[in-house]
Order: sequence, then C-alpha cells, then structure tokens
Amino acid sequence: MKSLFRRRSAVLSAVIAAALVVSGCSSSVNDSAGEASGDCGSWAIAMHAWNGYTASAQVVAEIAKKELGCSITQTTLDEGPTTYDAMEAGTIDLIIEDWGGGRWQEWTDRGAVIDLGDGGNVGLIGVYVAPWMVEKYPDIVDSKNLGKYADLFKNADSGGKGAWYEGPPGYTTIGEKMVSANKLNFKVIFAGSEAALIDGFTKAEANKTAFIGYAWQPWTLHAKLPNLEKGHVKFPANDWADAATASGLTDYPSTPLKKLVSKKLNDSNGAFMTLIKNFKWTNDDQNLVALDIENGSTPEAAAQKWIDAHADIVKTWLGK
Amino acid sequence: MPVRKSYVLLGSVVVWIFLARILNGRHTLQIATYENTSFTSFVGERALSIRGNRTESTAFIYFFNPIRGVIDGFVQAIRDLIAVPAPNSVIPIIGWLGVIGIVAFVVFATSQWRTALLSVSLLLGCGVLGMWQFTMDSIALTLAAVLLSLAFGLPLGIWAGLSDRALKVMTPFLDLAQILPTLVYMAPIALVFMIGAASATIATMIYAIPICIRITSHAIRTLNPAPVEASLSMGSTSSQTLRKVQMPMAKQMIVLGINQTVMAALSFVVIAALIGAPGLGNPVISALIIRNVGQGFVAGIAVVFLAILMDRSTSAAAKRQETFIPPSAQDIKRKRLTLLITGILAIVTVFISRTVLWAAIWPKEFMVARQVQEITNDVTAWILENLFIFTNGLKDLISYSILNPLETILSQSPWYLTVSMIICLAVVIGGVRTGILAGVLAMCIVVSGLWFESMLTLTQTIVGTLLTMIFGMALGIWVGRSDRAARSLRPFLDAGQTLPAFVYLVPILGLFGPTRFTAILTGVIYATPVVVKLVSEGIRSVPTTLIEAATAAGSTTRQIIMKVQLPAAKKTIVLATNQGLIYVLAVVVIGGFVGGGGLGYLVIVGNSKPELQGKGLIAGACILLLGVIFDRIMQAGARRSS
Repeated sequence: MKSLFRRRSAVLSAVIAAALVVSGCSSSVNDSAGEASGDCGSWAIAMHAWNGYTASAQVVAEIAKKELGCSITQTTLDEGPTTYDAMEAGTIDLIIEDWGGGRWQEWTDRGAVIDLGDGGNVGLIGVYVAPWMVEKYPDIVDSKNLGKYADLFKNADSGGKGAWYEGPPGYTTIGEKMVSANKLNFKVIFAGSEAALIDGFTKAEANKTAFIGYAWQPWTLHAKLPNLEKGHVKFPANDWADAATASGLTDYPSTPLKKLVSKKLNDSNGAFMTLIKNFKWTNDDQNLVALDIENGSTPEAAAQKWIDAHADIVKTWLGK
Repeated sequence: MPVRKSYVLLGSVVVWIFLARILNGRHTLQIATYENTSFTSFVGERALSIRGNRTESTAFIYFFNPIRGVIDGFVQAIRDLIAVPAPNSVIPIIGWLGVIGIVAFVVFATSQWRTALLSVSLLLGCGVLGMWQFTMDSIALTLAAVLLSLAFGLPLGIWAGLSDRALKVMTPFLDLAQILPTLVYMAPIALVFMIGAASATIATMIYAIPICIRITSHAIRTLNPAPVEASLSMGSTSSQTLRKVQMPMAKQMIVLGINQTVMAALSFVVIAALIGAPGLGNPVISALIIRNVGQGFVAGIAVVFLAILMDRSTSAAAKRQETFIPPSAQDIKRKRLTLLITGILAIVTVFISRTVLWAAIWPKEFMVARQVQEITNDVTAWILENLFIFTNGLKDLISYSILNPLETILSQSPWYLTVSMIICLAVVIGGVRTGILAGVLAMCIVVSGLWFESMLTLTQTIVGTLLTMIFGMALGIWVGRSDRAARSLRPFLDAGQTLPAFVYLVPILGLFGPTRFTAILTGVIYATPVVVKLVSEGIRSVPTTLIEAATAAGSTTRQIIMKVQLPAAKKTIVLATNQGLIYVLAVVVIGGFVGGGGLGYLVIVGNSKPELQGKGLIAGACILLLGVIFDRIMQAGARRSS
C-alpha cells in the first residue's frame, strides 16, 4: 500500500513536471496570433457597475484591443476609494467616468492617481417621482409640496412614513439631508443598486403606484420612460459642490465627469494613453451604447456598433 | 426550576414591551447615515492616515508591503499558468485542454476514474457556460489560499493536537474566527493590504485556517492511543512517533481537513470579489448590482460546479486512504501502466493546448451562456409577473406581522431599556457572569454610536433565526427520524453549506426587491442546512432504549417527538439555534447591498466613501459584538441545560 502510494506520487510529480516543461516550450499559438502582440502593453480598466460607465469603458476597450493591439483586462470594482487604492497598488489603470467630484484629491496629491480632465459627459443628479404622478398631482414636482404627499409613498418597509429610495452606496447622495432639512415625513431607504431604481420607476409607472427616488442624467432609463424628466422634483438652485457641506435645502450640482488614470499609465505616454487623453463624447453618444446593452446586446457588440458608425470620431481619439 | 425560569423570561418580555410602548421614540441614538460621531470620525482619520502612510511608514515598507508583494506574485504566477494571457500573448501558459488533461490525470491518480470523469465534465460545463477564464481565476486564487492555509494550518493543527497548552491558547481565536462574519474583516484587511488578490487571499486564509487547525488537532487527538504508547515505549523519539505513527494514522482525517479547508476557501470565492479578487465573484456581484438574474445564475452554476469538483476530488482522495487491503503485484503493475498512459495523455493535451488556438482559448461556438441567461431571465420575469401577489404578499405578511413590530420595539425604544433587557435575558439564560459580559459588550455598541443601526440588524437577525428554526427544526426532526429523508436531503444540505450566499441573493432580489425581507430570506437559506444537520444529529443521538420504552408504553409518534426526542436533544437544539443565529447574522449584513440597511449597509458605504470609512469599520466591529453577545448567551445556556 505504502509503496504504491509512494510510487503514485512519484509518477504524479513526474507527469506534472513534464507538463510544465512542455508548457515552457515556445508556443506556436502565440506566434500565429499576432493581432494582440503590439507594443501597447497590458492595461486594466476599472468597471463600475452602471450601464453608462460600461458603455464608455467598453468603447475604449474595444478600440484599444482592435486598433492598438493592447491587452485589456476589465475588473468590476466599487467606485471611489476602493478603486483609487487599486490604482495606487497598480492593479487598475483607468477610470473612464468618475462622479466623485474631488474625492480622489488625496490620491492625486500623492501622485498615485492623475486627473485627465473631462470625458465629455455631464452628470446631473436629482430626485424624481414616477412621471404619471405629475399629471395627477401637478404641484408635486415643487419640493415645497412633497411633504403633503408623503402618505402616498407608504409601504411595508417605510415604517409609517413615505418611502424615499436612494441609489447604490458609492453614489453622491444627500437624500437624508433633503428629508430632514425640509422636514419631510419620509424614510430614506438605500436600495443598493441602480437596477432597483430602474425597477422601482418602471413598475410604479406601469402599475400607477407611487414612487420617489434618486435618478440622474445621462441614464438609459430616460429612453425607456421618456416622461421621466417631467417627474424631476425642483429644489432651490444648487449652492454646494461637496456633498459633505450641503444643507439639504438645495438641489444637486451638475458634475462634469472625469477621466482618472494610474501613474503607470500616465507615465507610459503610449498609444493607449493618447486614446484616453483624446477620448471625449456626449451624453447622447453614451446613451446610444448603454441602451443597446440594456436591451440585451453584449457590451462588446454594442460598443463595436457605435465604433463602426463613428469612425471619424474614433480617428480623432487615436490622434490620426 | 425550569418552569420558574420561563416565567421570569415571559414576565420580563411583557414588562419590556410595555415600557417600550410608553417610551417609544426616546433616546434611540439614531443618527443619519452621513453623520459621524466623534468616535467614528476619529477612527476614520486613523484609517485615512494609514492609507496615506502606506508608502512611508516602516511597518508598511518592511512588513505589510512585502507580504502583499509575495502573495500577489504567487497568485499571479498561478493565474499566468492557467488563467490569464501572458504579456504579449493571447493565451495563458496552459490552455483549457491542457488544464482539463492535468486535472483529469491528477484526480485519476489520487482517486479513481469515475471521479476524474466527473471532474472533466464539470470543467467542460464551466467552459460551456462561458465562464472558463473566471473559473480558472477562481481556481488560481483558491489554490493559492489553500496552499498557504495548509502551510500555516497543518503545523499549527499538529501542535495543537500534541500540546494541551497550545490548544488552550488557540481555542479562543478559533472560536472568534468561527463567528466572525466575513464582511467584517474585509475592510480592515483591504486597508492594510490594499484592494487586490493579496487581500482576497489573506481574507480567505483567515476563514480557512481555523478549520484546518481544528480538524488536524482533532485528528491527532482522537487517535487510538495504543500504537502511540507502544511506539514511545519502544524508545522512539516523539518526533519519530509523530512522523511514523501519528501522522500516518491521522492521514485520512487530515485529508478530510484539507477537503474542508478547500471548501471554506471556495465559499469565499464570491465575496472576495468585493476586495478585488479575480474570478467567478465578479460576474456574480455585477449581476447583483445590475440585477441580472440570468447572469448571476450562470455564474452561480459555475461556482456550484467548481464546488462539486473540489469537494468530490478531495473527498475521494480521502476515501481512497481507507482501504487496507494490500494490492496484489498484478494490481500495482496494471495501475502503474494506466498511470503512465494517462500521464502521457495529459502531457499531450498540454502540448496541444499550446499549439492549436481552439485548444488554448475556449471557442465561442461552444457556449450556451447567453441562452441560459435569457431563459433564466424569462422565467424570472414570468414569476415576477404572475406570482407577484404571492411573493409580495409573503413579504408584506412577514414585514407587518413580525418585522415591523420587533423593529419598533428594538430600535424605537430607549437604548437603556434594550440594554437592560439584554442583560436580563443573559442573566436568566446564562447566569450572572454571562449577564455582566453581555452588559459590557452591549455598552460598547452604545458608546460606538451605532446603536440604532445595530438594532436594525439585530431585528433582521432575530426574525431570520426564528424562520430558520421553524424550517430547520421541522426538517431536522424529519431527517433525524427517517433514513430516507436523510438520504434524499443530503445533497441539498451539502450544497446549501458550500454555496456562497451571494449566489442565491441575486434571484431572491429578483423576487422580493430591495427590501429587508430579501436580506432575511437569504440568511434563512444559508443557515437552515446547518440547523437541519445539527438537529437531526441531536435527534439521532437520543438513546434508542428511551424511544423503545416510550413506544412500549403506548406513546404516539407525536408524543415521542415532543416528550422524548426533543427534550433529550435540548442541548443540541440550543447549540443549533446558536449556529443558526451566527449564520443568519453573517449573511443578513450582506443584505446591505440590497436595501437591507443596518450595519451591513454602513460597512459597504464605508468602503466607498472616505468620510464614512471610520463608521464602516466600527459597524464591522458592532456586527462582531452582536455575534459575541448572543454566542456567549447561547453557549452558557447550552452548558446549563446539560
């Protein structure tokens, strides 16, 4: 028994060693697959979890892979410090759309993360009600009147108050401050995901039930619910930039969305860096791709479709 | 005496509810999510300074950063081998065919051809589901974590097996590690080792090493003492005895320990994606965020396949050690020949996987991921549309009948009332010392400033434990009394214990939306298998003479269960409740991702907003405090009831 076991482990290790030797031999696959062996290098793009982000990141990734021959990895990560840390650690090289409004300051001060400026998309956050409600209660879109409609929004999870849905943890939000500063009888519920908000708005619109929640532009939901913008509740004009100092009485600011890169990518000065530097597109462009993704196309196919249709823009990004 | 105890309990609960009604809304210590107490902002500043000092402080330069570098390099080496394309290449060093060849050979050599066949089909399944690279990434990470865990766990386990003092020192840490919810230690680890494979590996090790230590020391301690004594009396040194007698005898048990270590590491695969682990966790988590039930389902199946593969191949290796019939010379010869042939075949597959593209990268033509996703999404949509009344009704029923009243009592009454109630319960169930401990720990939560959120989490945990015990007891009694039930439920129980909770969180979210109920139900599903196992073991361990006596006296089945089996198994049932509670707590906090709120949400939000980082870390500590309070009360209760 024992000798058999010994022999067996000997054979085992011999075979594995042999397999490793074989795998060390030069591979003909590598030589034949020349398309990815450019000198672009390999880069990691952070993938934040909203469809708009996916659209921008995938378009960049497809161009980098197909046109520049870069090897690109895409890693799903929470936005904010998680990703900045990963950039400092060298595991992530690019955030294509950052809503953080300066949260990266500490990292840029250290030189670990570099701010490349605007990517062309402008973010606008707001509080929205399901659009059908505006027809029935026209004055609901004035923040002063929200209080008297609070009872409409009650449900099993809102503890006798109106249910007020907020977005995912990382998003800039002052919902709680709005509720308390305006003395609204609402309970803030953190829905945890963009999908939960999409679900909330679409179900409420279809069933004519009440719903109030966090929404923004650019967002594909506007294409699905064309009236959504009508449900935008107006608060007094914005007077803050940093959510931490907001009073809760005024509305969200509009945020030019930023491109952030790692030190490594910034220093590389290669073709991929040029692409990122030049990348700039509009909210409409992004929505086009994001909507395709939401309707079931793969991100790759949706991005490729846009790239094929906008060869001239892609050309300017490539610096040709 | 026991009658009086339950009266005291009932009385204090009535007084509590009464006082909670009167004092409703006062001194609840509620603060808004964005608000910091001076304590949480202090912790937040400390954490920020740790972040900032990563490149300067000596502790980082000479200790943490090198550890990170080594582990990162180790994981990356394995990934380069099987998972990710090497630089300037489109394929990993060994393509999919080669990996399958090697796995088949290794499994065949360590167990038998049937297991090898199963392993191959499971791997092919992962490929067909379009998850090949994610699966390989997960295997790489699991392999690295398991090897490192064994490197620490086996020696420590042997030491704890040989020395009583070592065991005594380690036990409290092992206990703590077992009730530590995974979500709690991820943030501190990521703070020190940064987001990435190293943090994920270390977090996995913290989870897996205690299990390895426990089983190894148990294996050595439960050995038949006669051969050990014989060896020592014949003049062997203790190291000779260990190597030549104890280790070989304990080998089967230790392989079982390796099996458990692998499973523990694997159950971490999904949640580790939150701190940057490559692998199957990524599609699961992104499915959760974009609420794509189909995508979550496909990735979840791949996780299940991987779990079955790892479990069967390691446990088959353990079983193989069982046979003591010496093989005949012919058997050895034949075995050696087949090994040689399969070995050559494995090498050939590796070679092919490096020469032909279709054998290197999983061909797109052989994927059904998209179809499976679409079917799942269609089914979910159908259920959502047609069973909405049922799912929503169930959710509302539980919410209005138990969840909301309990939440009002716990979170809307003054903190001092709830703290005194916890102390009171602890004294009645566990005695004065437990009462003091519970009081001190509860006060720690109060001082931390997160009392209100802790009460929200506590509410969900209690409701979840209640539901778990209802299902768990019913199934446990059934399984404990019927062998057929045991046989038919076993695969489900095993699967339930190894499946990461995230995998079924996605479909439950699809059915019940972003609510507390989703969090609670996920916890119930996670905890029920453990409770069923413990309860059924308790029922089975009731002496048959007792049951025969009761049957002879003319008792009905119902009477036997209620009057004989349950009272005799009381201690196990209390322990099962304790396990259930700890398991529910560990998963309920994950519900912060899906609208569950409470401490779990603070942990998550602390990860993404620097100004709330301190609060997130403290929230993690509060989860732990809650766990320890109830673990101690229940353990003391179990000790008393025996």
